[in-house]
Amino acid sequence: MSRRSDLARYLASRLALAPLMLWLIATLVFLLLRVAPGDPIDALLGPRAPAAARAALRAQLGLDRPLGEQYGTFLSHLLQGDLGTSLANGEPVTRIIQASLPASLELGLTALLLAAVVGLAVGFSGIARPEGRIDLAGRLYGIGTYALPPFWAAMVVQLVFAVWLGWLPVGGRFPATLLPPEGTGFYLLDSLRASDWTQLSGSLRHLILPAGTLGLLLSGIFTNALRLNLRRALGSDYVEAARSRGLSERRVVLHHALPNALLPVLTITGITVASLIGGALLIEVTYSWPGIAYRLQEAIAQRDYPLVQGIVVVVAALVVLVTVLVDLVVALLDPRIRF
Amino acid sequence: MAVLGSLGLALPLLAGCQPPRPGLSLVVATKSRIDSLDPAQASRIGVMQVLSGLGDPLYAIDASGRIEPRLATALPVLSLDGLRARIPLRRGVLFHDGTRFDAEAMAFSLRRFMAIGTLGYQLSERVEAVRTTGPYELELVLKRPFSPLPRLLSAIFLTPVSPTAYREYRDKPLNERFVGTGPYALAFFSGQQQRLVPFHRYWGRRPANGGIDLVTLSNSTALFGALRSGEVDLLLSSGLEIDHQEALHRDAGAGRLREAVGPSQEIGLVSLLSDQPPLDRLPLRQAVALSLDRGTISQRVALGLRAPLRQLIPPSLPGSDPSAWPTYDPAGARALYRREGYCSGRVLTLPLTYRSDIPTDRLFALTWQAQLRRDLGDCVALELTGMESTTAYAQLDKGTLTMLFYDWIADYPDAENFLMPLLACSQAEADRCLKGNSVLGGTFWTAPGLQQQLERSSQLAGPDRIALLEAIQRRVGAASPYLPVWLSAPVAWGRLPVSRPRFDGSGRVLLGELHRLPTTAGGSPP
Repeated sequence: MSRRSDLARYLASRLALAPLMLWLIATLVFLLLRVAPGDPIDALLGPRAPAAARAALRAQLGLDRPLGEQYGTFLSHLLQGDLGTSLANGEPVTRIIQASLPASLELGLTALLLAAVVGLAVGFSGIARPEGRIDLAGRLYGIGTYALPPFWAAMVVQLVFAVWLGWLPVGGRFPATLLPPEGTGFYLLDSLRASDWTQLSGSLRHLILPAGTLGLLLSGIFTNALRLNLRRALGSDYVEAARSRGLSERRVVLHHALPNALLPVLTITGITVASLIGGALLIEVTYSWPGIAYRLQEAIAQRDYPLVQGIVVVVAALVVLVTVLVDLVVALLDPRIRF
Repeated sequence: MAVLGSLGLALPLLAGCQPPRPGLSLVVATKSRIDSLDPAQASRIGVMQVLSGLGDPLYAIDASGRIEPRLATALPVLSLDGLRARIPLRRGVLFHDGTRFDAEAMAFSLRRFMAIGTLGYQLSERVEAVRTTGPYELELVLKRPFSPLPRLLSAIFLTPVSPTAYREYRDKPLNERFVGTGPYALAFFSGQQQRLVPFHRYWGRRPANGGIDLVTLSNSTALFGALRSGEVDLLLSSGLEIDHQEALHRDAGAGRLREAVGPSQEIGLVSLLSDQPPLDRLPLRQAVALSLDRGTISQRVALGLRAPLRQLIPPSLPGSDPSAWPTYDPAGARALYRREGYCSGRVLTLPLTYRSDIPTDRLFALTWQAQLRRDLGDCVALELTGMESTTAYAQLDKGTLTMLFYDWIADYPDAENFLMPLLACSQAEADRCLKGNSVLGGTFWTAPGLQQQLERSSQLAGPDRIALLEAIQRRVGAASPYLPVWLSAPVAWGRLPVSRPRFDGSGRVLLGELHRLPTTAGGSPP
């Protein structure tokens, strides 16, 4: 069987399994939320609203129905792409996610770009002299940034650059004195499309600290991955063969070792993207970044069942999509991959 | 490394690109995210503050506690049986959409609130029907006489909305718009930012500023930093940790900020499960009440920013009795513990649950535990358990929490809103409440005739009412099913170029009064 048909079969099996995985995740979240202590009615009305008012609200929100019926409704709506409405304000969950997701994606993608550029640059910088000072500094950088607790790093960065130096805003996504640009929800993109430089600089100023913190914290993964894979590649037979053919070291590194060392890094990028979508929680909360992770945290605190379920399902779907895409790209780039 | 260096150099450059700030508008920061601007959905402090700029209540309570008509022109005129209240309404008031405010509009808003309001029970428990008796006269048919009616009608969640704008939203919320009669109109809404611009056809005094941008920052450090760095003009204390409040208080003392303290509608208290051992024993509850050193705890935990409290009704409201609960008396407490068989080699262990997601609550629990160990360690000890707020609230009426430290915030400023929600009991068996707010409050305590006293207190007015409220509090204080701990007052800090903020009697900053001060020759405001 040809490699292309192997790949197609692999992709088909991954995509076929995706709905099953999403169903499992959705069911698990549905059940865990109901099993977890706490009551959305308490979160909405406080602990001592009269019993009649509590019962009326419970009925209005459909929380008085049997669990099986609630689950059936949830699943049937989910199959139609309807994630329900928020218990907190009656807003459709899809609308809330549509409003928050671009913020998370803008932050995550910028952080990822920064992490890749800085991490790969630092990882590559020590290659000329392994175990030299620069290599050692790169290794320390990789371990240090990976080991830093995100909430602590974010608060320190916030204190230094926003509070003490006053260079950048402490939080939020856009200056309070301006109105956000209209369009896709990606403020950088929307400001550029509108050619509004005030909006663009406002968006950028708010993006720098959260994206910078997240990016630098993630960059260590890229640094370590590239260092290790590049060193392994430089010691391999095909690099030795290239050297023996009299190629310059620069050409050997850039044209032979680096492309092979970058393939595992691509896989790591995929995993990082997946974890970024839902994993930027502490960064979003620290910097008041109105993304999906921030909303998820609020929704959990309010026991807003439909919103929590909706966010988890969407994030899970994105993670599945990204990992399949990365697998596909790696398979296309690396002919050695077998399925 | 070069990349990092370039990034480092770029930061100060970008720092210079500050967005322009409109001269007369102000930025106010708070922790409360706003999910909906519909008064029917309002239940949190943050949204009440925004609504106070966008809407008008029928009555308002000023800083001295006096009731003044706003959209009403006079206090309600009650029928002889006290079951019908006629309210004359102001003429010449326009909604932000240009339509006229009248009795029909007010009735529409109140009926809508009763039908779909999150706090709709506040009205529907007391009001049978809402009628119009003239183009500018409203009649409320009450279920029973209710003397604090004007205070209830001062609640900003009862602000009228335009029937035209809300025609499609009679039975569902309108989250992202607000069309009311207030001094400001809504120009932009998102959960994190609301822009309020002066409504030029407002019937009352125009705002002294060019508009307000209300922004939400998710944590205390960000709020604190935003004021310190000059990013915001005014900061509200809700959600701000005590350390940050204290630092800002010091700044205000040193003349670097302007500070204002509002009347408190929030009390911190401990509920005592009074129908199960060991706290079903009155002497033990009294002993626990005598064991609480509020002064020391307030000083250590709240750095003196929360006043010790020995009553359920805050001092800013009529009927408060500052000495309803006993003072700290370790000798008296020891005597009571001893009488109950403790102290002589037998230590009473009391489980105290605190809300783990509120940092101050944990500090309170730890400090009280240490204080008891120091002063009464041979008689009583606290066993601490942290529990997330929502989980703890769900446990309260199950009778599983021997003691819980939490807070109570009134929906409108009246004594009734502090006593009824904590003490009301619709079904009782001697001192044990089987059904009612006392169960929801986690004490399960009541007393013969207490419910009648509570109901009577909301029918009386004037000195008679005050005397009854004081008597109720003393009665509850003697039985100690709750221990009031402290009072959390709202505080606002403004930067020096902004006028000193002022609060109304409901604990909200008067946004319309805020303005930038003219700078002196030296460049600094007076």
